[in-house]
Amino acid sequence: MLILIKYIAKLLKALSSEDSPWQIAGGFVLGMIIGLTPIFSLHNMIIVILILIIKVNIGMAILSFLIFSGIAYIADPAFHNFGTWMLTNPDLQSMWTGMYDKEWWAMTRFYNTVVIGSFVLSVLLCIPMFPAVLVFVNKYRTHIHAKVQKWKIVKAFKGTKIYSIYQTYTRVRG
Amino acid sequence: MRVKGVIFLLIMAGLGFAATYFITDEFIEEKIEYQASVINEAKVEIDGFEFDLFSLKVGWDRLQVTNPKNTMINTFETGETEFNVDFWPLLWNKVIVENVQMTGFELETERETDGYFEMPVNEEGEEDPGIFAEVTKQVGGEISKNANMKFTAVKDNINVDSLMAMVDLQSIDKMDSLKNGLSSNYSKWENTINNNTIVNDVDKMRATLQALNVNEMKDPKKAIEALKNVQGMVKKADSLKKSVVDLKKNFVADLNTSKNSLESIPNWIREDIDRAAGIAKLPEINAQSIGTALFGSNLLGDFNTYMGYLGTAREYGARLKGPEEEQEEEIERFEGKNYEFSDKYDWPGFWVKKIELSGVTKNDIDLRGLVTDVSSDQNKTGKPLLIEMGGADANNTSLNINAEINYLEEKPRESVKVTYAGFPLKNSRISPSELIPYELSSGKGELSLGVNVIGKRFDSEIKYLASDVSFDFNSAGKPKNQIESLIRTAISSADDINATALVDNTTGPLRVRVRSNIDDMFLNTLKSTISREVENAKRRIRNEVESRVNAKKREVEQLVREKEAQLRAEYEKFEQKVNDQLKIVEEKKQELEKKKKELEDSLKNKAVDTIRDKIGF
Repeated sequence: MLILIKYIAKLLKALSSEDSPWQIAGGFVLGMIIGLTPIFSLHNMIIVILILIIKVNIGMAILSFLIFSGIAYIADPAFHNFGTWMLTNPDLQSMWTGMYDKEWWAMTRFYNTVVIGSFVLSVLLCIPMFPAVLVFVNKYRTHIHAKVQKWKIVKAFKGTKIYSIYQTYTRVRG
Repeated sequence: MRVKGVIFLLIMAGLGFAATYFITDEFIEEKIEYQASVINEAKVEIDGFEFDLFSLKVGWDRLQVTNPKNTMINTFETGETEFNVDFWPLLWNKVIVENVQMTGFELETERETDGYFEMPVNEEGEEDPGIFAEVTKQVGGEISKNANMKFTAVKDNINVDSLMAMVDLQSIDKMDSLKNGLSSNYSKWENTINNNTIVNDVDKMRATLQALNVNEMKDPKKAIEALKNVQGMVKKADSLKKSVVDLKKNFVADLNTSKNSLESIPNWIREDIDRAAGIAKLPEINAQSIGTALFGSNLLGDFNTYMGYLGTAREYGARLKGPEEEQEEEIERFEGKNYEFSDKYDWPGFWVKKIELSGVTKNDIDLRGLVTDVSSDQNKTGKPLLIEMGGADANNTSLNINAEINYLEEKPRESVKVTYAGFPLKNSRISPSELIPYELSSGKGELSLGVNVIGKRFDSEIKYLASDVSFDFNSAGKPKNQIESLIRTAISSADDINATALVDNTTGPLRVRVRSNIDDMFLNTLKSTISREVENAKRRIRNEVESRVNAKKREVEQLVREKEAQLRAEYEKFEQKVNDQLKIVEEKKQELEKKKKELEDSLKNKAVDTIRDKIGF
């Protein structure tokens, strides 16, 4: 329960933070790729470095990673099937072979059905998700945020000891 | 750009480098020592280990591999060693090494501390003796058998009673066991012949048939019905006949087997006689046993030493092999399936392409050479393991070792050739046998060993050549007896002495043969001196053993004779009875068939008469 509250608070904080909608959407899609694909992959290492270097919202990236890790568990057979289709597609064989024979590409493990399947699908998913999050953040900030703050549940939540501890913790952490 | 993020990454990278700089050597050394000790089943220790993460260079000052069978001895140790590990295979968990430079290689060195290693519970290896261990054991038996041979102290007045007290006459127990087995088998047949259902079945059949009165049958329909019943019975009778034939076949075969088992008795008695002769240390006077007595102990002893090294090499080879890669049938969640688009990464788990080895043997021979393609899977490297080493000491005594361990073919093939040549023989004995108790005053020796193992087929030859030899008879004093005198005369004329031991199982069980160019000289000398005494002593032992075991032998033979005769008689009686009854069944069948035909003919005639009457013909 505490964890759930923590994530809701994180989400609300991220949405109302000073970060631009671009940064929030960027954190969201990057966290989504990490969550949907096998975590110990070369591309995920690069994405983590990107998250740390470019100014995307890290909180949103972590939240997105957690949400999509759960979805990945359910979607795993679909990733495998899609990956199998891609790796066995006769038209793509020369490309796969070329990539496989280059060590740096081979390190990405794109010859694995789940890695390639989940990576390609998550990248494809970025195309609608990025603008969708962008629109959502904008809408939230202009129309929803003020209303949400007035919700009884939010007010009640803000009055809890947990919230005050969380606030103190975030202040201390900076 | 997030400055804090960049700083964080830089700090992490810095910490990583610092950790590798300060921790890796000891950490990796510990890990390697532990894993190697688990594989070796005894301590493997590395001193002065160094690992450079950037150049992937590995080295150590000293490596000790403890002999698991004697933990105060190292199977081998090396001095300074250096090699580079290939980068890319490491990312695939494969260790590929192009070139190892290993100095100070030594076999069987003493350890300063005990190399015992406590094995993890689930890592205890299964003990499989393997072909080398089996061969070594059998050859060892041959050596100890020949070590008992005494040629010069043969007496024909041996005390057979006290000798017999030392001999365990195993043939008596074996004959007892055979007798029990035969008795039980005969009882089984007695029971089968007297209590089987065949006689009862045939009796019932005959009674049913005799109840049929053929002459009273007037109605053809009833005759046909009766005939049908009889035909059913005939079928059953045929099956009973077949049962009798099968029974007879089994009975005769079993009796013959029982009779043939008696043929083992003379062999058992002969083994007892040989054992008694062995205890009395009576030699066989023939060229083979003389060759074995003269050079068997030395040649086969050396042979076993080399077999020990080969066994160790094979054992380590087997331990280097990883577990067979399992075929993935079910794809686990998040695991997926790997598609291999080329064989570029199809490396074995472990592959050292070249080891440049140098060291000194116990005899101070400066040994150098190459070991190539040591791998955990030769099918992936496509290359067999090759060893080519050689060297010599200051006196030109040389040692050359060539070996090929090839697992690429259908059957594993291992071939080894070792030549140790030019070693001085001065002040050494050419044979440990009492027949040549003299030291050599000059001479040079050469020992060569060739072993070929294909699957379980083993073929080997070990040759010994002593050239330009001269014996120091003066130190031994005057000949003590006629044999010694004759031997001195015979061997003093030999400049070169060569001996060959052949150990193989190419035509069946393992054979060990030892021959030399001086066997015939000894054979003639011994024949003319101790041959009669040996024969007399052997005859006395044979007579004594036979007198002690013959009563039991006769007992078994009598049992076989009597029981066989009894059973044959019972079986004949049984067979006769069954055949008699079956004959009656057959007769009844013929009688009924005849009656049926008569009735059918009469019906046919009646029908013809009726038609004629109707048409008025």
